[in-house]
Amino acid sequence: MSAGGMLSRSALIWLCIGQVMVLLPHLERLPLWIGGFMLLAVLYRIGLFRTSFNPLSRLLRVLLMFATAAGVIASYRTLIGLEPMVALLVSAAALKVLESYKDRDGYLLVSLAFFICVTNFLFAQSLPVVIYGLVTLMVLVVSLIALNQVPGSAVTRTEFFLAGRLLLFALPMMLVLFVLFPRIDPLWSIPSKSGQGITGMSDSIRLGDVSRLSRSAEVAFRAQFSDAPPARSDLYWRGIVIDQVEGGTWRRSASSKPRPPQMTLKRDDSRATSMSYRVILQPTMQRWLYALPIAESNSPGVVATADLTIESPRKIENQFGYEVTSWAGEPKEIAAMPAELERAMAYPEKMNPMTRTLVKELRAQYSEPSAYVSAVLQYFSEKPFYYTLSPLPLNDRNQIDRLLFETREGFCEHYASAFVVMMRLAGIPARIVAGYQGGELNPLNNAITVRQFDAHAWAEVWLPNLGWQRVDPTAAVSPDRIRLGLEAALVGESDFLSDSPLALYRFRHVAVLDWLRIRYDALAFQWQTAVVGFNNRQQLDLLKGWFGEIKVSWFTLILLGSWAVVLAPLSWMMNRNIRRSSRIREEEQFVVVANGLAKRGFNWSTGESPQLFLQRMVAVLEPDDRDLEALQKSVKDLYQP
Amino acid sequence: MSTLSLTKTFGITRRWGAFYDRWLRRRLPPSDRIVLEQRRLFIFPTRRGFFFMLTLLVMLLTAINYQNNLVYGVTFWLSMVFIVTVHFTHGNLMGLVLQRRGGLPVFAGQQAEFVIRLVSGKGQGHRSVRVSWEGSDVFSDVVGEQPVDVSLFQSAGQRGWHYPGRIEVESTYPLGLLRCWTFVDLGLRTLVWPKPLPCTLDQTSRLEQPVGAIGHGPGDDDLSGFRPYQIGDSLRSIDWRAYAREQGLLTRLFHSPVSDHRWLDWSLVEGDRETRLSCLCFLVFEYHERGDEYGLRLPGYQLDIAGGDRHRDHALRALALYGLETTETER
Repeated sequence: MSAGGMLSRSALIWLCIGQVMVLLPHLERLPLWIGGFMLLAVLYRIGLFRTSFNPLSRLLRVLLMFATAAGVIASYRTLIGLEPMVALLVSAAALKVLESYKDRDGYLLVSLAFFICVTNFLFAQSLPVVIYGLVTLMVLVVSLIALNQVPGSAVTRTEFFLAGRLLLFALPMMLVLFVLFPRIDPLWSIPSKSGQGITGMSDSIRLGDVSRLSRSAEVAFRAQFSDAPPARSDLYWRGIVIDQVEGGTWRRSASSKPRPPQMTLKRDDSRATSMSYRVILQPTMQRWLYALPIAESNSPGVVATADLTIESPRKIENQFGYEVTSWAGEPKEIAAMPAELERAMAYPEKMNPMTRTLVKELRAQYSEPSAYVSAVLQYFSEKPFYYTLSPLPLNDRNQIDRLLFETREGFCEHYASAFVVMMRLAGIPARIVAGYQGGELNPLNNAITVRQFDAHAWAEVWLPNLGWQRVDPTAAVSPDRIRLGLEAALVGESDFLSDSPLALYRFRHVAVLDWLRIRYDALAFQWQTAVVGFNNRQQLDLLKGWFGEIKVSWFTLILLGSWAVVLAPLSWMMNRNIRRSSRIREEEQFVVVANGLAKRGFNWSTGESPQLFLQRMVAVLEPDDRDLEALQKSVKDLYQP
Repeated sequence: MSTLSLTKTFGITRRWGAFYDRWLRRRLPPSDRIVLEQRRLFIFPTRRGFFFMLTLLVMLLTAINYQNNLVYGVTFWLSMVFIVTVHFTHGNLMGLVLQRRGGLPVFAGQQAEFVIRLVSGKGQGHRSVRVSWEGSDVFSDVVGEQPVDVSLFQSAGQRGWHYPGRIEVESTYPLGLLRCWTFVDLGLRTLVWPKPLPCTLDQTSRLEQPVGAIGHGPGDDDLSGFRPYQIGDSLRSIDWRAYAREQGLLTRLFHSPVSDHRWLDWSLVEGDRETRLSCLCFLVFEYHERGDEYGLRLPGYQLDIAGGDRHRDHALRALALYGLETTETER
C-alpha cells in the first residue's frame, strides 16, 4: 500500500522486468509478435515517466485488446489448447502493463506473472528451466516488495535479501507439503499441448524422415538399469511397428491390438532371461513407448500390444516414467496372428520392376527363408552402398529401384524399407520397426541416455519356427553405426547435430566439459525421476518406507510440526530483536525516574526535553539527591549514541 | 481479531461502535508514549492477499489437472511464503515507539497539526509505516537511530480543546498481502482559539462601570461616585465604610481603565457569546501586532494589562476556553 495508491517508478520497472522474464522461456512456443508487443508495451509504459508520451486513450486500448485476441486466433487458428491460452495470458499482461498506474494494477500484474511463470513448467521441466524459474520467482517477490516501499526508495540488495529470506524460510514447509500432499487425479479435462516444436518419431516414415532427427541432440529418453545394461549393439529400442506401405510412405496399421495372452513368454523356460529398467520418456505427443524387446510393464498407464511393443492409452504430453521388464531369449513360442502376417506380406504390384527381377533371381538360389535373408544382407554389404545423412533424393514411384541400382546411398530407413520390400516380394512376411538404437551409458548411475540422433529404423522378418526376428540391414551397410554409434559412422558429415549447435554433447572431446556433462546428466536424471516424475505410487512407497503405515492424523501432525519448527524460531527472532534494542530500555528508565520525581511534585511536562528537565531539576534539588543522580544517569544513557 | 477485521471491513452500527470503543480503550489504553507490542497488533490479509490466494488456488488446480510436480512445488512455495510473511509483516511493526510531541494551537475551522514522533525499536527498523486518521495520513520508513517526526492534520471545528482521537498505525510491508495494524491513543489534544472576527471596541458607551475582577484594587484609580448595590457587583467594590456607618450597601464607581483603550472588555463588543469572543480574539492579535499592552476582561475573568507573546497566549487561552466545561487538567 503505497501513498496515494500510485505505482512508483521503481515498482513499475521491476514489474516490467518480471513480465519480460516470465515471457522469455515461452518465446519458443509463442508467435514472435507477442514478444514484440510485450516489449513495446513495457518500453512505452516506462517512457510515460519521461512525459514525452501520452497515455493511450481508452478507445485505443479496447481496439488493441481486440487486435491481440484476433492475432492469437490468427496465429493458432483456435483458442483451445495450452499455447493459445498462454498467448492470451501474455497479451493480457502486456495490455495491463499499458494501463498500470495504480498499485492495485501492480498486484494484478504480479499475479498474472506468477501464473505465466508456472505455465512454463507445463512445457519444460529440466533443471535449467527450473533454475531460471526460481530466479523469476525471486524477481516477482522483489517487485511485490517494491510495490510496498515508501515512494522514492530504490530496490537495493536489501530487498533481494529480504525476498531470499522469505523464500528460504518457506522452503522447508514447502518440501513437507510437496511430499505429503496427495496426488489426486485430474478434476476435469484440460486443454492439451499442440506438440508443436517437439522432435521425435512420427507414425509414418518417408525416406529421409529419420535422418532429419540426427540433427538434434535433444534427449529422447533415459533408461536406468538395475544391473549392468546390455552391450551397445543390442540396444534396439523398439517404438512402433510399421507394416503398411502406400506409395513411398510406410505407415503404422490403423490400430494396435492388445497383446493376447498366448503371446506372453513362458517364464519357466530356462533360456529366458530378463532385465529390469526404468525409462523416463520426454514428451513425444505420441502414444507409443520405447523399450527393448520383448517388453512387459506393470506401470500404471502402460499397455502391451500384439506387435510386441508397449504403449500408453493417452498421448505423452509430459515427461512419463515407466518400469519395464524385457525378456531376452528365443521368442519362438510367440505366435503371430494371421491378419498380422497377411499385412506383412502385402506389396503393390507393378512397382520397382528391377527389384522384382533381382528378388526372383535370389529367391531361386535360396529357397530356405533364412538363407534368403542372409543372401540379401550379403548383397547390401558387398555392393558399394553408402551410409549417409544426406542421400540423393529419390522419386516416389520406383524409389527402391533407384536406391538399389542407381544412387546406392541412404540412411537407415532407406535400407530398412528396401530390405522389407525384398522380403515381401519373396513372400516372406516382413515389417519395419522404428525406434532408437544405442545410447550413451553414464557410468555414474547406470543410465543410458538416448538422444534424437540415435533414431533408427530396422526390419523384422517372420521365420517359421522362429517367429519375428530382428534384421538390421544398416548393420550390413555400415557396421560402425551399430557398434560405435552414428557419429563414428558419419565422420565428416556436417548435417550431424546441425540443429543443436551448443549441445554439450558436441564438446565431448574436451575432458573437463565431458566430466561436467556426465555429472550433470546423472543429476538431471535424478531430478527427472525424483522430482518431476514423483507420482502417487512413489509417494506411497516413500511414505510407507518412512512411517510404515499411512495415517491422516500423522500427516497432519507432521505438517503442523514442520510449520512450528520454522515459524517458532522466526517469531522468536522477531521478538529478540526488540528486546536487544537498548534504546527502548533507556527511554523506559528515564520515564520511571521522571515518574518518581513527579510524585515529589516535580512534573516532567511532555513538551520539555529530558535535558531541559534535568537542568531544571539541578536548579531546584540538592546535589546529593538520589533521584537527581538517577535522573542524571538516565539522561546520560539516553543521549549516548 | 476477526471481529475487529469485520468491523473494519464492513462498518459497524452505533451501538457496536460504542462497545468497540470501550473494548479498544481497555485493550489499548491511552499513553503519551506507546511501544507496539505483540498484544497491541492485529493482522489480517488484505484484499490483495485474498486475490493472491485465489491465484494460488488456480495454480493448485493447474497442478492437479496437469499432474505437474513443478507447478505443485511453486504453488506450495508461494503459499508458505504467504504464511512466513505473516511473521515478517507483524515483526515489521513490532517494537515501533510512538511518542506524543504535542500540537500547535489553531483558530477554529483551521487544520490542526499534530506531531508524532516515531522511534525505531529494533535493528533493522520499520519499513513503510503508515500513520493516519480519517482524512490525514503519513507514509514513512523508520530506520536507524534518528527518530522520525510526522505530522497529522485534522480540521479543528470549535474553539476549546480539540482531541483528534486514536491514531491508526499500519503496515503491509513486505508483500502487501497482509495488513498489520493497531490503534494508539497518545492523548493528543490541541487548543483551538476562536476564529478572529474583525471589529472595533465600542468606546462611547458606559465609560464607567463597576470593577468586577479580583486583583484589581481600588487604590490608584479615581473614585467617581457611588450607586446602590446591585446583584453581581464585586464585593470588593462595596463601600464597607459606608456600610459600617449604616448607610446601606453602596457600590463605589471608578473611572474605568477602559477609557485609555487598553482594556479589551467583554462589554465593549457586541453580539452573542461566540461573536464577542471572536472579536476579542481579533483585537488581541491587533494589539499584539502593534506592540501595545492590553488587558482582557471577560465575565468572571480578568487578565491584567501587559504585553508580549506569553501574555497573548494567556489571553487567547482564556478566550478559547471561556465558558467551556473542559479545564486544563482534564485528561
